[in-house]
Amino acid sequence: MALDVTKTHVLHEWKYGKPMIACRYEPQGRFLFSSSEDYSLQRWNAESGEKIAWEAHDSWVRDFAFLPDGETVISAGCDDRIIFWPTAAEKPEPKVEVAAHKGWVRCVDVNGDGSLIASGGNDRLVKLWSPDGKLVKELAGHERDVYSVFFHPDGRFLLSGDLDGKVHQWEVATGKLARTFEAKDLHSYNGGQGVHYGGIRDITLSADKKTLAMTGLHKASNPLGAVNEPLNYLFDWESGKEVRKQPADGIKGIGTNIDFLSDGTELVASGGSGGGYLLFFKAGEEKHFHNLKLKDTVRGMSVHPDGLRVATTHYDGHIRISKMTEKAA
Amino acid sequence: MSRWLHQRADDVCSLRCSVTALCVVVALAGKVAAFADAPGRPDVPPLPEPATVKQQDLPLLHPQIDALVDASLAASGVSAAEPASDGEFVRRIYLDLIGRVPGVDETREFLVDAAANTDARTQLIDRLLDSPEHVRRMQYVLDEMIMERRGGANVPDAEWKAWLRQSVADNRSWSWIANEILSADGAETEKRPPAKFYLDRDFASEVVTRDVGRVFLGVDLECAQCHDHPNIETYLQRHYYGINAFLSRSYVFTDAKSKKKMLGEKAEGEVKFTSVFTSEEGGTAPRLLDLPPIADPEGTAGEYVAKPDKTTRGVPKYSRRQQLAEQMTAPENLDFRRNIANRIWALMAGRGLVEPLDVRHAGNPAAHPELLSLLAERLRDSGDDLRWLMREIALSNAYQRSSSPIEVEASDAADAQVVQASLDEAAETSDEGSSEPAAVADFQAARIKPLSPEQLAWSVMQVLGVTDRTLAAKQAELAKKDGDAGAKKADDPVWQEQMLGEALKSNVDQFAAQFAGQGGQKTGFDATANQALFLINGSLVQGWLEPISGSLTERLLKIEDNGQLADELFLCVLGRQPNAEEAAEFQSVLGGADDRTQAVKDLIWALLASAEFRFNH
Amino acid sequence: MARNIGCNVIDHAVSRRGFLGAASAAATVGGLLTPAQAEAVQSGQKRILQLFLQGGVSQFESWDPKPGTKYGGPFRAISTSVPGTQICELLPHTAQRMHQVSIVRSINLKTNDHGQGRLFMEKGRRAGEFPYIGSVAAKYLSPKNPPLPGYLHITTRGLTDNTNAFLEAQHAQMRLEGVQAPANLARPDKVADEAARRREEIRSRLSQRFAGRSGQKAFVESFESSFELADRLMSQKPLFDAEPSAKDVERYGSHPFGQRCILARKLLENGATCVKVTHHGYDTHAENFNFHLEQLGEYDKTACMLLDDLHDSGMLDSTLVMIYSEFGRTPKVNQRYGRDHWGASVSVAAGGCGIKPGVVVGSTNPEGTEVADREVDAGDLFHTWFQALGIDSTADHTIPGKTIPIGDPTKAPIEELLA
Repeated sequence: MALDVTKTHVLHEWKYGKPMIACRYEPQGRFLFSSSEDYSLQRWNAESGEKIAWEAHDSWVRDFAFLPDGETVISAGCDDRIIFWPTAAEKPEPKVEVAAHKGWVRCVDVNGDGSLIASGGNDRLVKLWSPDGKLVKELAGHERDVYSVFFHPDGRFLLSGDLDGKVHQWEVATGKLARTFEAKDLHSYNGGQGVHYGGIRDITLSADKKTLAMTGLHKASNPLGAVNEPLNYLFDWESGKEVRKQPADGIKGIGTNIDFLSDGTELVASGGSGGGYLLFFKAGEEKHFHNLKLKDTVRGMSVHPDGLRVATTHYDGHIRISKMTEKAA
Repeated sequence: MSRWLHQRADDVCSLRCSVTALCVVVALAGKVAAFADAPGRPDVPPLPEPATVKQQDLPLLHPQIDALVDASLAASGVSAAEPASDGEFVRRIYLDLIGRVPGVDETREFLVDAAANTDARTQLIDRLLDSPEHVRRMQYVLDEMIMERRGGANVPDAEWKAWLRQSVADNRSWSWIANEILSADGAETEKRPPAKFYLDRDFASEVVTRDVGRVFLGVDLECAQCHDHPNIETYLQRHYYGINAFLSRSYVFTDAKSKKKMLGEKAEGEVKFTSVFTSEEGGTAPRLLDLPPIADPEGTAGEYVAKPDKTTRGVPKYSRRQQLAEQMTAPENLDFRRNIANRIWALMAGRGLVEPLDVRHAGNPAAHPELLSLLAERLRDSGDDLRWLMREIALSNAYQRSSSPIEVEASDAADAQVVQASLDEAAETSDEGSSEPAAVADFQAARIKPLSPEQLAWSVMQVLGVTDRTLAAKQAELAKKDGDAGAKKADDPVWQEQMLGEALKSNVDQFAAQFAGQGGQKTGFDATANQALFLINGSLVQGWLEPISGSLTERLLKIEDNGQLADELFLCVLGRQPNAEEAAEFQSVLGGADDRTQAVKDLIWALLASAEFRFNH
Repeated sequence: MARNIGCNVIDHAVSRRGFLGAASAAATVGGLLTPAQAEAVQSGQKRILQLFLQGGVSQFESWDPKPGTKYGGPFRAISTSVPGTQICELLPHTAQRMHQVSIVRSINLKTNDHGQGRLFMEKGRRAGEFPYIGSVAAKYLSPKNPPLPGYLHITTRGLTDNTNAFLEAQHAQMRLEGVQAPANLARPDKVADEAARRREEIRSRLSQRFAGRSGQKAFVESFESSFELADRLMSQKPLFDAEPSAKDVERYGSHPFGQRCILARKLLENGATCVKVTHHGYDTHAENFNFHLEQLGEYDKTACMLLDDLHDSGMLDSTLVMIYSEFGRTPKVNQRYGRDHWGASVSVAAGGCGIKPGVVVGSTNPEGTEVADREVDAGDLFHTWFQALGIDSTADHTIPGKTIPIGDPTKAPIEELLA
C-alpha cells in the first residue's frame, strides 16, 4: 500500500510498562530499539513486537544510532557514556564502552560510511569517535548544552544543535566551524523564572538535500509549566538562508523528532502538556496539513526503513507503531 | 509558661494540629465565666431601625463618658491634663473626622470663631461629620478594619470602596453593614461588593472563621481551633467551631459563564472537632460565643432552592450563613457592639479600651469595663449609628484634653519628669495585663496617634497646596466646559470631594505602599527606613516642595519679613505659632541663606518630616 | 549518620569524572581580611544567610539522590568530603565542602502549596500571623543602631509578605530589587549635602521638642530611629553602587545570581543580620532534569564561592547558612519529564553558626516516597535555626498585650544538627 499520511493509523500498541524515552529502527528494519526511565534498553522485533530488555547504562538513554550495516547499535547515556552493542545478539553485551562526555550524552549519529560516530553532550562539546571507540576530534564552540547531532549524507559536514537555538556546521575533516544556522525562536530566556529553554531537539535534511529542517518549541510563556508550542525551522542548504518557520499553532508541546518521508512530507512528533501528536507538514507551507493525536504523550519517534511505519515511545510505557497508509481491509 | 507548654506538647506531638498557633496571652489568674457580661439572652428590646432613631431623641452620651472617666481618675488621685487649646483641637478633630489637617485658612477661621463662640467646637464637629470628606475618612477606616489591607481581586477594590462610601454617605448602621457582609454570597452583581470579606479571603475556612471572630466580635479564636486555648481559659474550641458551623456548609463556586467566584451553600453537614491535647471529641451547632446554639429548623435538612452540582450554585432553603448575619447583629449580641465600640474608641482615643483590639476575654478585660459596656449598649440603642458614636466621643472632655500630660514649666521640670516616669511605667505595666494604671494613663491626657497612610497623604497634600491647586484647576476646567452650570457644580462639596479623591488617588496609593503595613486596625506605631527615605529623597514630596504656582513654597516666598515668614510657615504646616527658640532658629536660617528658595523648602520639609507632623496629638 | 573528622580530605571519587574544578585552598589569614570582614568577625554579631531555591528544588536532584530506583531520574549520586555521604552529581562544588554543611532529609511539610510551604518554612507555623525567621533574627540579633536594616531580601520576584507580623516594622524584610540600591537611597540632585544636613538637624530638633511634651516618647523614638537608620543606609550606598571586582565576577559568575551573592556577602560583612537571596526557577513541572541541570549548575559554584568567602574570613562560625525551598518535588516523573509539588519527603541543608557540620539527619525510604526515619517539619527546623544562633526559641516574644512563643511549643529543635 502506498504512503498516504492522511490515513495514518495506529497499527500496534506494545507494552513495556515503564515510562519510555527514545527509540530508533535498525537500518535493515528488523528491530526497534528503545529506552526507558528504569535505565534499561529494549529490543523489539519490528514485525512481531516480541521484545527483550536488559540493564544497560547507569542512567537514561536519550538517543541511538547504528553503524550502516545495522549490526551495531550505539546508545547515548546520561551516565556520560556511549556504548556499542551487537544488534542481533541473543543477549547483548557491550562491544565498546566510551566515557564520552562530562555530563549527559544527549545525542549520537553515524556518518554514511560508518567511519565516524558523533556525539554531543552537556559539556557543550561535540566529539567524533572511530568505530572502535577512539576519540578522533573534539569540536568546541557551543555555549550551551548540545541537544542534537546530524551527519550530512555527503559526509563532509556535521551539524550540531544546542539549547541556544544554534546549529553549527562543522567541516569533518578539519574540525573547522563552517557556518552557523540561527533558529532564534527555538530558544528563549525567561527572566522571571530565570531559565533558558528550548533547544534544537532534532535535525534532518530533505532527500533532495536542499532543505535543512529542525524542530523544537517556541511561545514558551511558562517554561517550568510546559506552556509552549512546537516549532520547526527550515533553512536552504545552499544559501544558508531561513526559508520558513512552521509553528504548530494551538498544540501544547515540544517537537521532539523530525524526519522527511518519501513524498517530501515532514513528519514531526510532538509531546507535552497537550498530549502526543504526529504532525505532518509540507515543506512549502507554514501550517501542518494533518495530524494524528496519539493516546499518550510522545517522547521519541523513529521512521521504519520502509518509510511507511513510524514508531513512537510514550510515557505510559508503550511503544505505538503507526502506519501511514490506508488501513488494511 | 512556654516551658510548660513545651513539655506538655511533647506528649501530644504525634497528634496532628493543623494550626499550631498557640498565642499565649498573659492571663490573669482566677476563673471568670466566659464573656462574663453576656450570659444567656438578656431581656433586650428589639433593635430599632436606624432610620427611626433620631439623634436628638437620644440621651447625651458624652456626659456619661466623662462621669465614668472622671470618677476613675479621681479614684486614682490623678488629675486630668488641661483641655486642649483651640489650635490643638482643630488639628486633631480635622484629622479624626475628615482624615486630614486643616488648611491654614480653616485653622484661622476656627481660631477666630472659637475666641467668640462657646459652641464653636460642637459646631465644627457637626460640620465635619456632615462633610463629604468624612465619608472618605470612614471609607478608609472601614476598609482597613474589615479587609485589613489584604487586597484581592475577586471583588475589585474600586467597587468595594464605592460600596463602603455609599454606606457611610447614607449613614448606614454598623449592623446593616455587618449584615450585608456576613450574608453576602456575591451572586448578584449589584450586591457583590460586600462579598469581598469572604471572597478575597478565598473563603478559606480557618481564615474566615477566625476573622469573623476578630473583625466582628473582637476575639481571636485561632488558637482554639485545635484545642481549648491553653492560656486563655475562656477561648474554647467550641467557640471557634460555633462560628465555623455557620460557615462550614458554604463553599466557593465558580460561575461557568462569568468565571466569577461566589459562595454556594449546602443544606447539610455538621461540625465536629477533636482536641489535639486531650483527644476529646466535640461537636456544635452554630452559635456565637456563649449565646445559645441555633438549631436548624425542622425539615430543612437536604432541602434546596437550588441543588448544588458542578454547574449549579447550591442555595439551601435554610442558610446558616444568613443566620450568622442575623445572629451577629441581633440586639442581644452585645459582644458585637463591644467590638465596634472598642474600635471606634481606639480610632478617636488612640488606644482601645481592650488592647489588642481583637483579644477581648475575661483575662484581658477592658481598661474600663463599665465604659465599654456603656458605649456598647448606647450604640445599640442608637441603632448602631457610628457617626453618632464618634460625635459623642468627640464632644467628651476626655477626648478634648491636651496631649501634654503635664504642663512643663521650667521650674518644676524635675517633678514633671517624675510624674511622666510614673505614667510611662503605668503604661508599660498595662501591657502586662494590669488594667487599672492603664486606665489612668489612657484617660489622663489625650494620646498621640500616628497618622494613617491616608491621613498622612491628604495632610501633606493639603499643607503643600497640592489639594487646593488640583481643586482650582479642576474647577476652572469644569467652568470652561460647562459655563455657569459648571461653575455651580464646581462649588458643590460632594463633587469636589469625589473629584479630588479620583485625581489624587495615585498619590495616596504611593503613601499607602510605603506606610501601610499589612494587617488591620492597630494602635501601635513603628517606622521603617524605607518610609524615612520616601520622605527624605522621594520624588513625590520633593516635587511638591518646588515653588510652582499654588505651592506653599511659592506663597511663603512672597513674604519678605523673616519673622512673618516663620510664623506663617509654622501655622501652615503645624497649625501653631513657633515658640521663641524656634522663631529665632528659623529667622537665622532665612537670614543667612544664599538661596532663599532652597532655605524655605528645607524649612518646610523639616516641619513636614518632623514627629509633630507625623502624629495626631 | 556520619560526621567528618578530616577536614580537607575530599573523597577521590568526587572527581572521578574529572569535571570538577580543583578545590580552592582555603587560606584563613587575618591579614587578608578587609576591615569590614575583620569587624564583622570581631563584633560577635550572629547572622543568617538564606539561600532560597524558589519553586521547590527537587530533593532527588540535590540532597537526597536515589539513582537507579523507580523515581530516581537520570542523575547519579556522588561522594562528598564526608565519607559515606552522597549527594546528587549536580552539586559537585558543594560535595567538596560537605564537611561544612549538614543535611536534613526527613522533612514532612504535609503541604504541596507554594504559599503554605513558604510560610511554614519561614514562620515555623502552618498558619497564623507570625514573623519570618529573618524578622525574628533582626529583632534579637541586630545591634542597637544597626548600619543596615536587619532583614534584607535580594530577589526580583515574589510577594510582599507581612514578614514582621506583630514585631516592630523596622524588623520587616526590606526587599532589594536584584542588586539595585533600595528606592529613594539617592539624594535628589538639587539637595546639597550641607543643606540636607541642616534640614535634618532642624527636623530632628523639632521632633525632640515634640517628644518632650507628648505623652508617648516611644512613638517618637521609633519615628526618629527610622530617620537614623535611613541616614546610615544612605551612607552605605557605595555598597550597592560599587561594581564587583573582576575576581569576584570570575568566581561567582556573571549571571544575576552571582551578582546577588556578591552583594549578599557585602551586606553580611557590613552588618546586616539576615540576608536572603532567592534563586528562581525550581518549579519544574516540565523538563525537571534540564532545568535542574541549569539552575543547580548556576547555584552550586556560586553558593560555594560565597561559603568559601565566609569561611575564609572567619565569618562562617557566626553565620547560619540555610539552603532551603518551600517544599520538594514529586518522586513520580510526569509526562513532561517534570516533577510536581511535594511536601512529604523534603530535604534542606544548613551550615555555619551553631550547626554541627557534616551530619545527615533522617532518611527517606528507598524510593524516596516518604520519610523513613526521624520525621521533622518546618516547626522543628525553626527551633533548630534559633537554637543554633543561641536564641532560646522556647522563650516568648513580649509584645503589648500578650506574649507569644518564639517557636511553636509543640515542636522541638533537632538536637543532632546542633553543634
